[in-house]
Amino acid sequence: MANFEAEEGTTRDDLVQRVALMEEMIAEGRRSTIRFGWIFVLWGLIDLAPVGWQLAVPHSDWVEIWSWPIAIACGFVIQSVVMAILRRRSGVVCGSNIRGRSISAVWAMMGLTAMLYFAGAMISHKAWQISFVVAMLMFVGMAHGTSAMILRWRAQGLVACVWWIGGIALFFLSNRYWLQIFVSEMCFGMIGFGLYAMWLERHDSAVEGRTNG
Amino acid sequence: MAELPDLDPVVHGKLRLAVLSLLVGVEEADFTWLREKTGSTDGNLGAQMMKLEEAGYVSMQKQFAGRKPQTVYRMTPAGRKALAKYVVALKKLLGAAL
Repeated sequence: MANFEAEEGTTRDDLVQRVALMEEMIAEGRRSTIRFGWIFVLWGLIDLAPVGWQLAVPHSDWVEIWSWPIAIACGFVIQSVVMAILRRRSGVVCGSNIRGRSISAVWAMMGLTAMLYFAGAMISHKAWQISFVVAMLMFVGMAHGTSAMILRWRAQGLVACVWWIGGIALFFLSNRYWLQIFVSEMCFGMIGFGLYAMWLERHDSAVEGRTNG
Repeated sequence: MAELPDLDPVVHGKLRLAVLSLLVGVEEADFTWLREKTGSTDGNLGAQMMKLEEAGYVSMQKQFAGRKPQTVYRMTPAGRKALAKYVVALKKLLGAAL
């Protein structure tokens, strides 16, 4: 931890120390605010819930129409509540640097696009055409890919490829495989990736705790 | 060594510089978080935050988190500008070494 008593140093060494201090504190602020793994896990589960619901209650028009909007609304409520709790606990509001805002924007716009696309497809009764499911997988792949490029994170780039491959595979496979592919993508590309991100976040915190201790 | 006047004395203080560097990456942060991250004391941090507030580099808001009172700080556009200017001045002073 920096010594804050010696205030007015102006030698070259002091200035170099100031640069190091800024770098350390900027990194510290970022490290403390980046907690996003749980959001992937949440949305993976939220997206699987309507599928499970429809399988549990087959041939119900009501469930078919309302399971997705209800699940998505629940997802938004849960995310907002958990984010408010995390904010209160940590004492900071999530990062407002350009990188953080870019990633948030990518996912927010992907979500909005997917919702509009989904609403249009539902109203026009075209939601279960295979090209609809493919487009959904591609949207998520695009968001993962863009985020991977911004973060320069190969693991997320790999996840994007898995989403894209799943989408393309659906074009060539029989329609009856859509559920298996969708569930696999959610389990690997959202829940699995989210758990991995959470593990990384926890690991970083542990390293941080050891170095500070 | 180049002259000090190029460096904003409000930003140049170590604790104030640490706080500004922390705040630049977050929308807002409470007093306790800033104290933990800088490892400073209540008194010292409070005094430095007041200086930053007086300079117009941070804004302060008192609020409640549940029943707990909370002092929240946010960097102002003037603070961002001052920090950016400080970095440019540091770069000039340190030359190619940076």
